[in-house]
Parts: sequence; C-alpha cells; structure tokens
Amino acid sequence: MRVVLTIAAKDLRQRMRDRSAWVIVFLAPVLISGLMALAFSNSSEFRADIGVVDLDRGPAATGLTQVLKSPQLEGTVSTRSYGDEAAARRAVDAGRVHAAIVVPEGFTAALRGGGARPVTVLDSVDYGLQAQLARAVTESYVAQVNADRLSVATAVTAGAARSDIPELAAKAAVLRLPEQVRPQGLADDPLKVISYFGPSMGMFFVLFTVGFGARGYFIEQQQGTLDRIAAAPVGRGALLLGKSLSTFVYSLAGLATVTLVSWLAFGARWADPAGVAALSTGMAVAVVCLTALVIALARTERQAEGIASVVVFALALLGGNFVFAAGTPLMRSLTLFTPNGWALRGFTDLGTGVRGWAAVGAPLLGIAAFSAAVAALTALILRLRRTP
Amino acid sequence: MSDPVEPVPGAGGQAVLECAHLVRRFGERTAVDDVGLTIAPGETYGLLGPNGAGKTTTIRMVCGLLRPDAGTVRVAGRPMGTAAGRAKRLIGFVPQDVALYPDLTVRENLRFFGRLYRMGRRRLERRVDEVLELIDLAGRAGDRVDSLSGGMRRRLNIGAGLVHSPTLLVLDEPTVGVDPQSRHAILESVTRFGEEGMAVLYTTHYMEEAERLCDRVGIIDRGRLVAEGTPRELVALVAERDRVRLTAGGDLTGYAQACRRLARVEGAARGGDRGDVVELVVKDARSLLPELLDLAHEQGLDIRSVEIDEPDLEAVFLQLTGTALRE
Repeated sequence: MRVVLTIAAKDLRQRMRDRSAWVIVFLAPVLISGLMALAFSNSSEFRADIGVVDLDRGPAATGLTQVLKSPQLEGTVSTRSYGDEAAARRAVDAGRVHAAIVVPEGFTAALRGGGARPVTVLDSVDYGLQAQLARAVTESYVAQVNADRLSVATAVTAGAARSDIPELAAKAAVLRLPEQVRPQGLADDPLKVISYFGPSMGMFFVLFTVGFGARGYFIEQQQGTLDRIAAAPVGRGALLLGKSLSTFVYSLAGLATVTLVSWLAFGARWADPAGVAALSTGMAVAVVCLTALVIALARTERQAEGIASVVVFALALLGGNFVFAAGTPLMRSLTLFTPNGWALRGFTDLGTGVRGWAAVGAPLLGIAAFSAAVAALTALILRLRRTP
Repeated sequence: MSDPVEPVPGAGGQAVLECAHLVRRFGERTAVDDVGLTIAPGETYGLLGPNGAGKTTTIRMVCGLLRPDAGTVRVAGRPMGTAAGRAKRLIGFVPQDVALYPDLTVRENLRFFGRLYRMGRRRLERRVDEVLELIDLAGRAGDRVDSLSGGMRRRLNIGAGLVHSPTLLVLDEPTVGVDPQSRHAILESVTRFGEEGMAVLYTTHYMEEAERLCDRVGIIDRGRLVAEGTPRELVALVAERDRVRLTAGGDLTGYAQACRRLARVEGAARGGDRGDVVELVVKDARSLLPELLDLAHEQGLDIRSVEIDEPDLEAVFLQLTGTALRE
C-alpha cells in the first residue's frame, strides 16, 4: 500500500506542477459554468408577461382575464391591458410583453347566442413558450365555456324550461372540467441553469483527465522511468493502483471544486450533498477506467492524445454536457451509454429537489455498468496484446 | 519505523549474480543466445560488445524487465522474474538513457526511487544525503531536473540506482553521449563502487572503459558470449599477434575483405570514428607489412599512416568476431 501511495503522490505532485492541468480541470469549468450562470440568470425561472385586449367588455372576457390572474398562475403570468389590437401588436413586437390575447367585440354575446367569435393570440418568435402558455390558457378557458354551454343545451334538450337557462348557466359556470393530468413523482423545485451546467462543465473538463493520464503513462514509458519502477520490487498491480489512484483523486478534486464553487458562488442547488458526492465519485471511477482503456488502445503518446480527444468529445456530446440531452428520444437513449449522461441525470434530479437513492440510484448503477464494461474491454485488449 | 535488517547477500563467497543459458528471441531474431555469466561480491564485470550485440537485452533479463525464453537468473541465490521482489531489491538499475522525472527536484527523484524499495523515512533521508554527496549534486538538491546540465543528469541517473544501497549495480552504457569531463567522473564513481565492495555489471562498447574498470570482461557478439576472463587473460588469447592500424582513403571494406584471405591475418575490419581505418590482427606484423602495403597499392588506397601495436581487447574482439567493436 505504501508503494501505491508513493506512486500516486508522485503523479499528483507532477500534475500540480503542470499549469495546463490547473487551467483545464479547475479554472476552465468554474469560469464557463459561472459565465453560463450569468448568461441564463434571467431565464432560470419561467415568466410570461401577457397583454390583454378586451374589446368585448362582457362577463366572458372578464372571466378570461380572471383566469390569467388566478392564484395558480400567480408568479408565472403577469398581465397588462391594451386598448386595441394594434397597440398590443406593437407591445409584442417591442418585447414589452411576450404575447397578447385579443378578446373580440361581441364575444360574450356570441356565446349567449350559440355563435362563435374566435379569441386571437398575438405571439413573438422570441418568446415561443410564453405564446404557447397564452394559447393554452385561452384554449382551456374556451373549452370550459363550451362545456358550460353544452351542459345547458343538454338540460334544455332534456326538457328544462327556457326560464331556467340563466340559473342552469350559473350552475354550469362553477363546474370545472375534470383534471386530466396529475403530475406525480416530480419535485416542485425548478432546475436552475447553474445546477445543471456546473457539474456538466466539471464533468466535461474532468474527462480531459483521461488524456492527461494516458499521455503521462506513455511519457513515462518513453523517458524510461516506467522501466525503472518495474526494476524495483513493485508489482504491476501496485503500479496500476498507484496510477489509478492519482487519476481518481485528481478527477474527484476537479469535480468537487466545480460543484463547491457552483454552490457557494453561483447559487447552484442540489437536494442532497451525499448524492452529489456519490455521483462525483462514480464519475471519477469512470474516468479511471476510461484512462486505462485509452492506454490499452494506444501505442504512443500521440495516439493516446488522439483517442482521448475522440472519447472526450463523443461522451460530452452524447451525454448532454453541451446541450440538454432530453431534447429528442434518440438523445435520451444515447445518454444511457455514457457515464456523464447518467451523472447529469442524477444531478438534474438532485437539482429539482429529489433526494437520496431516488435521485442517484439509477445513475450510480448506470455509471457502474459503464465502468465495468470499459474495464472488461481493457482487460481483453491487454490480454490480446500481451507478447506471446 | 526502522527497516528490517537483512543478511548481506552475496557474502561468504556466494555469487551475487548467476545467469545460466539465457535465451531471448524477438520473432525470428535471437537477441541473446545461451549466455551465462557469474559475478562475485565486489567484482566489476564488463559486458563488452558492439551496438545490437545483446547487451541491453541481457541486462533487461537480469533486472527482471524481460522474461527469458530459456535459462535462469539468480541474484544472491534468489530467482529473478518480472515479479521477483526479493531479487529486485538487491539490484540497482541504471538505464542507458536518463530515466528521471524532469519536473521533480533532484531530491524528490532520489526520494521517490528510494521509497519504491520500501526504505524507512529516516534511513531514506540519510541515504539521499549520502548519494547527493557521492554524485556531487548536494548543492543542487532542490533544483528541478530539467534545469540540470546533461552531465549532472547522468550523475543523478546513477544516483537514483544507488539510493537503496544495492548489492549489485547494473549500468547499461552509462557514458554514451557524455562529455569527457562527466565521463571521467562516472568512471571514477564506478571504480569507487567496486572498491567499496559493490558488485557491478557494466555494459559498454568502449574497449578502454572495460579495460580500465572491469575485473572480468565478457565479450558478446550477435547474442553469444564468445569469450570471458580478466582483461589480461583475454589479451593473452592474442598474445602472439600484433595489431595493425592502417589509416587510408579508398575502398577500405574491400581491402579488409582482401586482407582476410591472407594466411597470417586472423581478423580484419573497417573501423575508426570516420571509417578511414582498417584494423588487423596478424601474426608477426613486421614480416607481413610489405605484403599488406602491396595489397593496399593494388586496391588503390591512399595510405596516410600505419601503426603496429601490442594487442588489446579491441584486438581480441577483432580476432574472435572478425569485426571491430565500433564497425
């Protein structure tokens, strides 16, 4: 064990004297995640400013405005009134509001008479989500009104007196459409950008450790120091463990630094510190296995550098370190083949308030499976390469 | 924590190194072919041969860096292999190229290699200081290796093999590419190691180094140990012969081939640093000289000088192998 620690300490001392290693594993991820936190600071919580043009001035239009101001949408939606459609259009185009709802003149009367006067939603290409929200709220309101009308019409068809229609309409108005979607299992907290991109950038740059470790091995081979170690009473296992330990410690230190700075300086939030530590540890183990694989595949320092670069960028792209991986079903599937994708999944859950095994169980198992597969492949390659 | 005290290996007349019937092949090529050698305690043994003769391969098997295809290596009676910790502990390996960490300091390098041999902290610090004095780098102990001159790095390269006080020091051509001053310092150090009782296995293709340093010399050529003995014993093999050095311009390779066909010529090879010398081992040089000069004229050589010397290890090598050490 002492020899293992000696080799690991020597490797770490060399890494610490390499300025590029400091920049790549500690400084760059902190800077980039910090920049991202600043860039997305206004969009980390969703808001929609919606303009309302009430040309109807009847109770139906008032009802729609009340929906927009309801307690469910408080904090997410704010409304602003405009006198006519042109003014609302100008406000949307100027970005003063994200979208606008125009309730046409005679909307209430049309409802009473059984006719249809469509509500218009003015949108902007810059605020697609907010426009979708305005449309959804409007459609939901119109659906509710239509349901009320349908229930009154049904009562009349069934024999209710015409004089009862106002009373029936009032009763229908207090009824609500049955809930169709009840979200379960999702935490309540919104995911902050830094809570995702902090660990994401940390992992991306820590993956570069694969290149450092593999190159370091070949440099040692070239300068003859590996032979010198092999000539000493040091087993191959101790050498391997020492080198793995230094890569592990270095990777873990990089991830720990980024998560700590993201938390303390940029306000990242994760529900469970132990979960963060577990995911970081799992990721560091995966980096050790990947380093061994690159060493097994390469024959020279240059080859190691090339292979490591391909591995790093492939994993970063597939794992969602640059973009949210949940974008398409294919991306979501590919993510499951990367340790960083699994780890990010865990960090996303922790960032939205999920705790403990529920957040990190599956990601840790995914990382462990990936690491075991890489270790097995490495062993196979080394076995095939062994001089007969 | 103190280090366990081990009995001094090799004491009581037991050989420090015993190699028997070593064979190592690389594909179709046999790099080392049935080599056997023994080194006694305190003895300096030189393995003399040209580049590619099998010296480094032999050394790598001795140090457990390469598994022999056949044969055995024992260090103070302990079998050597790639995982033979007990045997490896007794060897200090000094590779041909400087094998150090350039971004660590002189002291950090020595400490690191010492720790690999599980030396206790106090003993290690004491020994590092001793080695720093020995290699004359005490004043540069805190400097990074990449700030040292080439000669200093060479000395440190040797020092790193000495930290754990080995019983057998194995040096693989330590003076290749070294300036004369550093070379002198290295040879002085090796002489001192021998005087202090350390067994040394020293490979070189410089005949004068082998003659100066070694108690016994093994001559290796094309993977085979062709002769072994003290320098005096080896020179005695060619005692009745003379060594002729003919410096000339022209087709010296053709001339050397023509000379080999003469009855009293036992070895002829082109040599010299600039390739303008033909070295000959002959019987009775003085009576043969006119014949050699006639042949040179026939070959159209432009003769610049002819020297007749007493035979030395170079002549021995020439006679045994038919080629020069630095051909």
